Amino acid sequence: MIAEDLGSIDDAELIRRSRRDPEAFAGLFDRHAPAMRRYVARRLGPSLADDVVSDTFLTAFRRRDRYDSGHPDARPWLYGIAARLISRHRRVEIRFYRALVRTGVDEIAEPYAERVDDRVAAEQAGLAAALAGLSAGDREVLLMVAWADMTYEDVARALGIPLGTVRSRLHRARARTRLALGGSNPVTTREESLDG
Amino acid sequence: MDDLRTLRAWRAEVPEPGPEWVVPERRRLLTRMRERRRTLGRRLLVVGALGTAAALAVVVLRPQPQVEVPGIVSTAPIVRLDSGVVLARAAEVAGGRESAQVPLPTQWHYTRTLDKQPNADTTKTVEQWLRYDGRQAASYDENGDLSVGPEGDPRDPGDDDLSPQQYDAKLRALPTDPVKLLAKITADPHWIRGAREKGVPHRVPPAAIRGYHVIMLYLSRYGSMPPRLESAMFRALALIPGVRIEQGVRDAAGRAGLGVWLETDEDRPSRRYTVLDPVTYRYWGTRTVWLRDEFLGRKDVPALPKGSVWSTALVASTIVDRPGDRG
Repeated sequence: MIAEDLGSIDDAELIRRSRRDPEAFAGLFDRHAPAMRRYVARRLGPSLADDVVSDTFLTAFRRRDRYDSGHPDARPWLYGIAARLISRHRRVEIRFYRALVRTGVDEIAEPYAERVDDRVAAEQAGLAAALAGLSAGDREVLLMVAWADMTYEDVARALGIPLGTVRSRLHRARARTRLALGGSNPVTTREESLDG
Repeated sequence: MDDLRTLRAWRAEVPEPGPEWVVPERRRLLTRMRERRRTLGRRLLVVGALGTAAALAVVVLRPQPQVEVPGIVSTAPIVRLDSGVVLARAAEVAGGRESAQVPLPTQWHYTRTLDKQPNADTTKTVEQWLRYDGRQAASYDENGDLSVGPEGDPRDPGDDDLSPQQYDAKLRALPTDPVKLLAKITADPHWIRGAREKGVPHRVPPAAIRGYHVIMLYLSRYGSMPPRLESAMFRALALIPGVRIEQGVRDAAGRAGLGVWLETDEDRPSRRYTVLDPVTYRYWGTRTVWLRDEFLGRKDVPALPKGSVWSTALVASTIVDRPGDRG
């Protein structure tokens, strides 16, 4: 089963197969788990990320019979499940942001990062302060766009919210991050630059 | 500076993991998927490939041992009892129980089960809360945190399991005359249809065998069964040819009870006992003993050598108000 070339079939087909052959679901894991692990680790650190990713796929597996096969890409569905699991660890996420603001050290990037210069460090502390201050819903939209490379439509589907809400949440969140970065750049207000 | 670009660059060092992460994590996911199917799935373990498949969910995950066979458990001397006498006594005791209250749809059925796989050194404890209406399940995760699942049907497609509420509704609809009871159970289309799983040929066992397994399944769900019905279950069991009862059969908790099994014409590598409390006749667990080597996949090394034992024990089964409560 693993040996079969899964490259040519889309997620919806893979999920459909897994209804009859549950272990086919592992193909979805191979395809999306590494990127999701990176995404979650950027928010919650590596050890929690392992559990969140595993729980996400286990939850998805349980709900696979309700997957809307009209969507060939399962990423929004998976990240929507992950978002709910991440939200259970909101305090952990915010603690990392606040610790960076307080100490100047980012515990999440630090194990991998080269030393960052002062300007970058100040920017990151500003972002961390902004992220810590956002509402959970606004933060979710912002990070899905910035760190999971989702389109507005993807985010709307993932979170089960209207497209207009995605735009307004993103608008609000970016106003905060721009403020934290100390000024505005007119270019950045063009939404189209990220929509895709 | 573009705020989004700055944000994208932040923590960008966190790497995407490679195969050294994917391979063990995929294995972990598969184990958890199978485990779930094993605990929730397939209630009616009929004879044939199904029972073995369920038992081997963990076995096949591990590399097969080349030479040594997993510790063969010596079987204590067993004493065959007169099943008619034992079942009549069981019917009497069960009929004298107090009847239980019908739970609310929002209450939870809590179970704690022990599972000792044939090749495992340790006994695993599985705690689970299933909402009475079957629409939500909860359990403790690996970190010891209570994890309450999403609302919805937690079953796999093709699963023949029912919610606690559906079980109780089914039970309440049964007659308490043993002959009528057995007839009704064996005619129940739900158990004739049964569970379906890919790769497992579907076949409907003969009525008597099916009746035996359904009664055992119902007895394992004690707690809310009306006493007169439980009593009738034992009397109905006495009507099925080939029901055998042995003394001193142990469940996964090490409790020695009455081992009930069904002798059929079929030559099977293993024998599955349902273990009952010898005093209250309540369901305790199961014990499956391999009477000869069973080969699966590899033809040279038996997956389950003669003497292998798979046992389970239901050590708690009660209705509670909230997931996490243990009653």
